[in-house]
Order: sequence, then structure tokens, then C-alpha cells
Amino acid sequence: MERIIFHIDVNSAFLSWEAAYRMHVLGEKQDLRKIASAVGGDIKKRHGIILAKSIPAKKSGVRTGDTIADALKCCPGLVTIPPHYDLYERCSNAFIEILREFSPCVEQYSIDEAYCDMTGTELLFGAPLTAAYKLKDKIRDELGFTVNVGISSNKLLAKMAGDFKKPDLVHTLFPYEIEKKMWPLPVGDLLFVGHSTKHKLYNLGIYTIGDLAKTDLNILRAYFGKIGNVLYSFANGIDVSTVAAEAPPIKGYGNSSVIPFDVDRADVARMILLSLAETVCTRLRADSVIANVVAISIVDFAFHHSSHQLTLFAPTNITNEIHKAACQLLDELWDGRTPIRNLGIHTSKIVPATSVRQLNLFDTNNYEHLLAMDNTIDKIRDRYGRDSVMRAVFINNPIYHMSGGISIDKRKPDYGGGIIE
Amino acid sequence: MNNKTVDVIVTFNKAGKIKPNYIRLEDDDQLMHTYKIYNPRFDHEEKFAGTAALLFSCYIINNGCKQMIKIKYHANTYQWILVD
Repeated sequence: MERIIFHIDVNSAFLSWEAAYRMHVLGEKQDLRKIASAVGGDIKKRHGIILAKSIPAKKSGVRTGDTIADALKCCPGLVTIPPHYDLYERCSNAFIEILREFSPCVEQYSIDEAYCDMTGTELLFGAPLTAAYKLKDKIRDELGFTVNVGISSNKLLAKMAGDFKKPDLVHTLFPYEIEKKMWPLPVGDLLFVGHSTKHKLYNLGIYTIGDLAKTDLNILRAYFGKIGNVLYSFANGIDVSTVAAEAPPIKGYGNSSVIPFDVDRADVARMILLSLAETVCTRLRADSVIANVVAISIVDFAFHHSSHQLTLFAPTNITNEIHKAACQLLDELWDGRTPIRNLGIHTSKIVPATSVRQLNLFDTNNYEHLLAMDNTIDKIRDRYGRDSVMRAVFINNPIYHMSGGISIDKRKPDYGGGIIE
Repeated sequence: MNNKTVDVIVTFNKAGKIKPNYIRLEDDDQLMHTYKIYNPRFDHEEKFAGTAALLFSCYIINNGCKQMIKIKYHANTYQWILVD
């Protein structure tokens, strides 16, 4: 039996969700999707980039990832609205719930994209095209936003089909349609062909996906190594991966934060690392896991990226231990002068927290007490809010005591009336 | 924003059914008035933008005149909204 895979992608997700919420819940008359508008961060906090834009904004030259200042140059009348991540999570969950009504095998690829394995559902929902229209219309009518559905026999082709003309459309891209629909597309449109790969392919005289599909595999292997095989397979529409309904286990936990000011003092950098360690370790403890490896990443004022990692003597999820390791890495990696714009902590080689701890003869720390204290703080924060207890060093300090992830103001902005959650 | 949050007194019966009884609305002079809700009827459930809401149709008597109104209960925020 031929597999039937759907790729479902929400059109301009953040903006569509904002528009649907403002119109259907708050009762606004204006549809943000029909004017030049965009969801963007806060320039003052250096999060000022465009996260999603409407089709009229796109026509004026606004691109996702542009700074708000650049976007306003392209489109002076652009309406920008702050993000609202709680709403986006709610919309995403409702979107996935509807997909699960159509198929038990749903893989959430990102907050606004998913794959559905629809093989064998013809008797329930009709032919693939009929089912896709039913699914698309149900999401539009019940949730108030539109999606594109791509249909094919594998995930790659379904995703490529889903990215054809938007919005609110269904496209097919079965293997027999590849030559007509996919091969004429620019090679940069192929999944996983980024900016750098695209230019390498141009240097080889490969400009379309069709050119890539017809290139000798040995040439691609010689230039790109193992990736050459992937490029060749994708250009020919070959993808054997299955729709994974279960999320794979988490391999690492990390958080980073763009700092509203340039950091050029070690004590401030250490404080930011402490606030990041708080967030990362809370997540590790919540999932009852411990980490063997700690890494830090630094982005300086000139956007140069550097990172450094170490393996711990014993795996841990204790905030003080992870912070101590992060500070050691900072001292080794940073010259103490170059202004820092972004700091991050990442942990990896994750194992269950039930593992036995290897003791060190010369270490006098009482890890049981430290862990008990962290667990108690987690419980207090769970019950009374994350700001109910914090380290004294963060009191009256511009640095938030739990950095990284999505900040509270981005989760619940004030709409200036109507419903304020 | 056109949909306004309003104060509503509601009863919940043993079966979990919701019955709005009284509503407090502001008049043009910004004075608050409480009205009895008559014939509340559950219309349908909405899930727009992932926000679950129960829509009710009912009427109130305003200055001796019967006035149809629609109110929504938002399950996420526990708020009542007067639909414009």
C-alpha cells in the first residue's frame, strides 16, 4: 500500500494566531493578515527582529529575521505587535488536537508544522485530497486560522508540497509529479539546502533542483561528503523516514539569553550564568535527569560566536555545581574585556537522576543538602510562582533571576483592554 | 477591543450545566446597572485561536424593553464577555 503523508503548516503562524485571537476573542474588526503587519520583539531589549509577517508586509519586502528598523524602512506603515507565546502554545495544541482527530500518527515538527500519516484512512475521510480539504477547512472554521496542506508518499515531498503557493491551499507532490513540480524550482528551495550549500552548488553550475537530481552522485560525494548522498536523494524525492508519533528523548538542556546591555565585567557575566543555571537546572530536575557535560556559549558585540565545554567529575542537576562549572568555562573562554551580547549554558550526556554519584575524597560539599535545597525551591516556585523565592544577589538587580526561555512579558503582553490573562 | 468583559452571577448545577442569572452593564453615562438574565440558552462552543469559549444567547429587560444579548464564558480566563 502506498503511504499517504500530509504536511500541515500554519500560514504566518504567529501573525495568524494573533489575528484570530484579536478578531474572534477580543472582537477587533481589523484583520492583521490583510494589512501590512508583523509580530516582532522589543528593540530596547535587543530582541527587535521580525518573527512573522502578513502577506501584504511580505509584498513590501519585509522578511522574517529582519530587524524591526530595517522592516520599517521597507514598509513605513508596518503595524508591529509584540509576541504572546502562551497564546501560540494554546493555538498549537488546539491545531495538533484537530490533526489527531484525523490520524493517530501525528509528528509535531515545530510549533506550527506537523506531519500526519494518513495511510489507510480513505474509508474514514475519503481520498487524500478530500481528507486534506476537510482537515484544512475544519482548522479554519473551528480555530480561525488557515493552513497549507502538502500531500505525498513521503515526508520530504509532503513538506515541499506544503511550501508551494500560500495561503489556505492544498497541494500534491507525488513521485510522478516531481519532474513537473519540483525540478524547475531553485536549488535553494530544497529542504536542508541553506545559504552556504546553495552557493557551493551554484559554483558547480547547479541552479535548480532538477540540475541537482541529474548530477553524478560521485561528484556530490566528492564535494559534500556524506551530505552529498542526502542532497542527491532529496533532489530525487527519496526519503525513507517515517512519521514519528512519539517525540525522541531529549539529548540536552540549555538556555541562552540576549542581554539588554553589553557585558564587560566578569562579576556581571557570572551573575547572568547563575540566572541561566537556575533555569537549566530547574528543567533538569523537573525531568528527573542529570547532565555529564556542561557547555557555555558566548556571542560578542560583533556577533562572533564561541563555545567551550567540560565533562563533570560526576553528573549533576544541582544549580551551584552547574554554575561553578560554567564560571570555570567562562574564565577559560573569555578574555574579560570583549563586550558580550549573548550568553548561554547547555548541558548534554543526559542520564536518569537515579544514577549513583561517584564521590570524591577531597570534595567536602554536601550534595544531598544542596539537592534538597534546590528541590524545595522548585516546589515553592511551582506553588507560588517563579518569583516567590530568589537568590539575594538578584534583589533590586536589573538581571532577572531566571534567564533564558520565554520571558513573562512575551508570554502575556497587555492588550490594553479586553481580556488580560 | 470591542468585546468587553462583564460581571455575571452564574449558577452551576450538579450536572455541570452553567446558568447565567444576573449581569452588570455600564450605560452611556458610565453608570452600572444590574439586570436579570432571562431565558439563557447555550448556543455553541467555540475554540477560536485555541481559546475555548461557551456562547450563550439570552435577553434582559432594559427600561421596559426586551434586549437580546450574547455572552461568552472563556474557560481559559474564567471571564464573561459581552459579544459586540
